[in-house]
Amino acid sequence: MHFSNLFHQFGELTVTGLAQGAIIALFALGYTLVYGVLRLINFAHSEVFTVGAFTAVIVWGGFGLNQDSPTPGLGGFVGYLLIGLVAAMAASAVTALVIELVAYRPLRRRNAPPLAFLITAIGASIAISEFVGVLTHRNNKGVPRLIKQEEVFPFLDGKVTDLQIFIVVVALVMMVGLDLFINRTRLGRGIRAVSQNPDSAALMGVNKNRVISLVFLLGGLMAGVAAIMYLLKIGNVRYDNGLYLGVEAFAAAVLGGIGNLRGALLGGIVLGLFENYVAGLFATNWHSVGAFVLLVALLMFRPTGLLGESLGRARA
Amino acid sequence: MLLELENVTLQYGRIQALHGISLTVDEGEIVALIGANGAGKSTTMRAISGLRPVASGSIRFNGEDITRLRADLRVVRGVCQAPEGRGIFPGMTVLENLDMGAYTRKDRNGIAADLERVLTLFPRLKERAKQLGGTLSGGEQQMLAIGRALMSRPKLLLLDEPSMGLAPMLIQKIFEIITEINQQGTTILLVEQNAQQALSRAHRGYVLETGNIVRSGTGAELLHDPAVKEAYLGVA
Repeated sequence: MHFSNLFHQFGELTVTGLAQGAIIALFALGYTLVYGVLRLINFAHSEVFTVGAFTAVIVWGGFGLNQDSPTPGLGGFVGYLLIGLVAAMAASAVTALVIELVAYRPLRRRNAPPLAFLITAIGASIAISEFVGVLTHRNNKGVPRLIKQEEVFPFLDGKVTDLQIFIVVVALVMMVGLDLFINRTRLGRGIRAVSQNPDSAALMGVNKNRVISLVFLLGGLMAGVAAIMYLLKIGNVRYDNGLYLGVEAFAAAVLGGIGNLRGALLGGIVLGLFENYVAGLFATNWHSVGAFVLLVALLMFRPTGLLGESLGRARA
Repeated sequence: MLLELENVTLQYGRIQALHGISLTVDEGEIVALIGANGAGKSTTMRAISGLRPVASGSIRFNGEDITRLRADLRVVRGVCQAPEGRGIFPGMTVLENLDMGAYTRKDRNGIAADLERVLTLFPRLKERAKQLGGTLSGGEQQMLAIGRALMSRPKLLLLDEPSMGLAPMLIQKIFEIITEINQQGTTILLVEQNAQQALSRAHRGYVLETGNIVRSGTGAELLHDPAVKEAYLGVA
């Protein structure tokens, strides 16, 4: 244990943890949204992220960008970022929708038991990630450095970089937007209705399949944004990155209370921070051990997560 | 004829729940469907609103065959149900629940007028407007379920056990409101275990036993039918 390490790097670890937590939180939304309406853990959501990430790298490559390209100016950054975002969000959303239409909807039509959904989810996840693995020869793919990651201001012992601010701001904007959509719009109300009582929702004229497609679409869009943030932060990507980060995102969703949007945000941030503090306290490669011990310990005391399971559902 | 069921059968797995139900509801009527627990009353309601697919037979509404129509599209056609157990959205406020009733509608002015009407019909809901549905009492939830269904401005209102679990005073009140809704022009098909109240309010009634309709007639006829009296009215 290196308490002095944790102490001296506290600022650095906190800032890194927040940025990482923001990415995890965006990723976690897809698990939580789908669970909210279907009570299904969509394990294939990790590949929704992976496909988005690789699509962005390929599209950037089409513009002649690779990991050796010089970092563009502000105009270039904004332009390439938007191109990457559109590509990743579109690819992730389409992947999520295809998984729902091809894998899950036929099972629902046949009233399949929950176990069939679970196995299908795991099967879809492995099939897609292996497919990407074969296509990319299981190699790391480099990502163009769109942003230099320069210090903007110092914070305690460390510094806050432009990229870290950017990631946290983008994640918050997406979260607030999604929260408003779910709580303030007619379609959002349809989502909440299906999540709180599917039969009553149908009796009020809500098309359940359309709502389900919508949550897969929203989860995909958020995963696409998470993928871009991840690429900018890490600088390379492999076919199985989604699988590992997906476990963390899923854990964050459960930690915050699965089915609960704000829970996903809180769970992501808590997990990101804790991983970094554990890394400071022990060693970098211990971060997942600490994070998942935290998850297990916390669920003992709050089995439904920090904020409870609900898409605006307060069981009375 | 607003609603017509012809030889409707329905299965839960291998168990046949409805053995060829035929019934009609005319515009402007209150029709009561009475029967014991497990007779198939709620199942008939679920078949009409489209929550369960029927195995055979046909359901016609307003001249259109809706036997295979999706549940949400039946709401657009003008069928809306206040389900058994009320089916309130527990995490939505009373107002949001009522808004859900108008989910398929776009006419803002009409929706606002209907909201006024529902809140006049159920003043208690006005007092509870900002409260979460899940925190209401059983009686309030029943009012909310009926009010929510009315918000779709249905041609046919389906009420499944509106008196279930309510105190006698409140049962009386709910039935008075049901009559009032009918007098304002909404056709009602009502499922009830409280046969006395239902039959004295209804124009016509059907008696359901183990998935078959065994009797039908006007409300008064059934109220005075010795067999119905013995089986459902607690009079020997």
